[in-house]
Amino acid sequence: MIYLDHAAATPVSKKALTAMQPYFADDFFNPSAAYLPAKKVRAAYEDAKSTIAHCVGAKNNDLVITSGATEANNLAFSLIKKKCLVLATEHDSVLNVAKNYNYEEIAVLKNGLVDLNDFKKKLSADVELVSVALANNELGTIQPLAEIASLIRAERERRLAAGDKTPIFLHSDASQAMNLLDINVSRLGVDLLTVNSAKVYGPKGVGALYLSHDVRLKPLIFGGGQENGLRSGTENVAGVIGFATAFREAKEHLNGNRKKYEKLVKILRDELKKGTVEPIFLGSTKHQLANFCPVSFPGLDAERLIFKLEEAEVYVSTGAACAASKGQKSHTLAAIGLTDEEIAGSLRLSLGELNDEENIKQAAEIINRVVKEEYERRK
Amino acid sequence: MSAANKTVYLGMSGGVDSSVSALILKEQGYNVIGVYMKNWSKDLPGMKCPWAEDLADAKRVATKLDLDFEVWDFEDAYKKRVVDYMLDEFKKGNTPNPDIMCNQEIKFKMFYEEAMRRGGDYIATGHYAKTDGKNLLRATDDNKDQTYFLYRISKESLEHTLFPIGDMLKPDVKKLAEKNNLHNAYKKESMGVCFVGEVGMKDFLKEYIDIKPGEIREIETETVLGHHEGAIFYTIGQRHGLYIGGGLPYYVVKKDLDKNIVYVSRNLNDDNLWTKELPLKDVVLRCDKTPEKVLVRLRHRAPLIEAKFDGKKIIFKNEVKRPASGQSVVIYDDQICLGGGIID
Repeated sequence: MIYLDHAAATPVSKKALTAMQPYFADDFFNPSAAYLPAKKVRAAYEDAKSTIAHCVGAKNNDLVITSGATEANNLAFSLIKKKCLVLATEHDSVLNVAKNYNYEEIAVLKNGLVDLNDFKKKLSADVELVSVALANNELGTIQPLAEIASLIRAERERRLAAGDKTPIFLHSDASQAMNLLDINVSRLGVDLLTVNSAKVYGPKGVGALYLSHDVRLKPLIFGGGQENGLRSGTENVAGVIGFATAFREAKEHLNGNRKKYEKLVKILRDELKKGTVEPIFLGSTKHQLANFCPVSFPGLDAERLIFKLEEAEVYVSTGAACAASKGQKSHTLAAIGLTDEEIAGSLRLSLGELNDEENIKQAAEIINRVVKEEYERRK
Repeated sequence: MSAANKTVYLGMSGGVDSSVSALILKEQGYNVIGVYMKNWSKDLPGMKCPWAEDLADAKRVATKLDLDFEVWDFEDAYKKRVVDYMLDEFKKGNTPNPDIMCNQEIKFKMFYEEAMRRGGDYIATGHYAKTDGKNLLRATDDNKDQTYFLYRISKESLEHTLFPIGDMLKPDVKKLAEKNNLHNAYKKESMGVCFVGEVGMKDFLKEYIDIKPGEIREIETETVLGHHEGAIFYTIGQRHGLYIGGGLPYYVVKKDLDKNIVYVSRNLNDDNLWTKELPLKDVVLRCDKTPEKVLVRLRHRAPLIEAKFDGKKIIFKNEVKRPASGQSVVIYDDQICLGGGIID
């Protein structure tokens, strides 16, 4: 198997798995219970939560643990009373929750980066939340959050000066960036931040939302009042401990990771260029996560490529999985102005722990063979 | 029948039957073009329509077998000719069979016509049925025979139809899929009406038909035993779904749609439940003359019963449990499907 879909899911790291193990059957106690063994579980849980908070430059109390990035993104939007702005290329868990509110999309440039002029135009006096992912899930495009944050700060200042109390906050889903970028809420200038265990070699079903002290959210789930009343339900102790362990591990390897993936992606690109159909590498390769290699083979059917690669045990995806035949285009690829043909031929290759030079070369060879077969079949 | 240079348009649903059909046709040397018929894609509240997944499954098999693959959109026609028909029948108090209508109107009409228009020699489907080029014949697998659903398809389309798995047993179809690594072998089989799913008919009808609660009465005494959500949900002979528990089960024996009353009885011998005759409408005959004695099937997979058919009604030797109006009776002479009609 050659796995090239780390943006979809990552295998749980050995360390994380080991750290989680005791909390299923041995230290299984409800952290809210009064007796000592439960108190110990509570302590371990809070420690883990603090670790996650520290990984993004925040404190334990600034975090709400959720069931994943989707819930965290949904929760972030609960602060809105008037209006929100979302980047046109956001993940469905942002776009579809935004649709419940008065919302507008911010356009992106052809390279996938936010169109700051469009943003400035749409940053009206009733906007309360702006949501822009740190790195896009289909293209890996890294957005200039600091610039967006400074425009928001200016707007906040303007409102205060005018005596307008409407708050304005910046939310960012950082799920895809956790293995490659040093995420720090102060440096990024965000008020809310989503992180996701499943993308960082932790278990699935755990995520967290960071929120600054000024943010007032409304819970989506009611019950025993856990997570400062913002997310009821017995704590997912093992999951949070796994998440914390994996996140800290990733944090320690940021530099090594970047160098490794820069090298591997370069090899991959160079090899793919030798193929029958000239590939188009999508998005800005300059402002892209080092492990992302979104690519289009115009004229070919990406879904067929996926099925053929699957037979060779090379697993890839398209951000537009199944979307092509559904007659729906990937909204992200459409937003960066790709033609229908380019969209239909797009694959998302995302690298990770399971890749090395050898299997990347092998993967490129197999992709080139399948591309050639499909190209010749079309003729 | 030489397969070389013959083009077959195969309806591929993503299921194991049409996937194995693709495999067989290809091995026989046909030029096979897989087609996913997009008939319905709408989600219902709390129920996601699986069409995109089915489509991906079909396409995966087509890719694996190196077949051309297309999606043909019949959604408008399906809504008008199958769904609206079904809703109308339910509104009249009948229990229609939309799968039979889908075969008549979509698969063996629109799909067939489009395939011919594009220069195809044949169409093919993964139905368990056989044909000798002229007659519609029962499948080898008696347990799976689907001719009940096919009795209304046009003679012309049947002449240009292949049923690649009609002479196979279902377990062998599955084995062949597994042997060839067709992942569809492991797919859960879809039951009932394709787009409604197993348990969704009631939910589906609720979305489309304005229903009113009404009384459930015991037929012998006119006593009100309880209330129902809508009379159209009930079928004569039906035992389940009456929440008036305790003791012997009640059976639906009559529906008064005007008064919106459902009548039930504990008497299994109630006249409404049994009959020696079934009048048919919209009769389709696949032969010039029917023999005096025929075999009939009252529902899919039900045993064949000896009966007489006079062109308008079925006459049984002994009383049979009365099938719901709107359902089909299909007539056979041994292996040959002679046609059938809809219970009036």
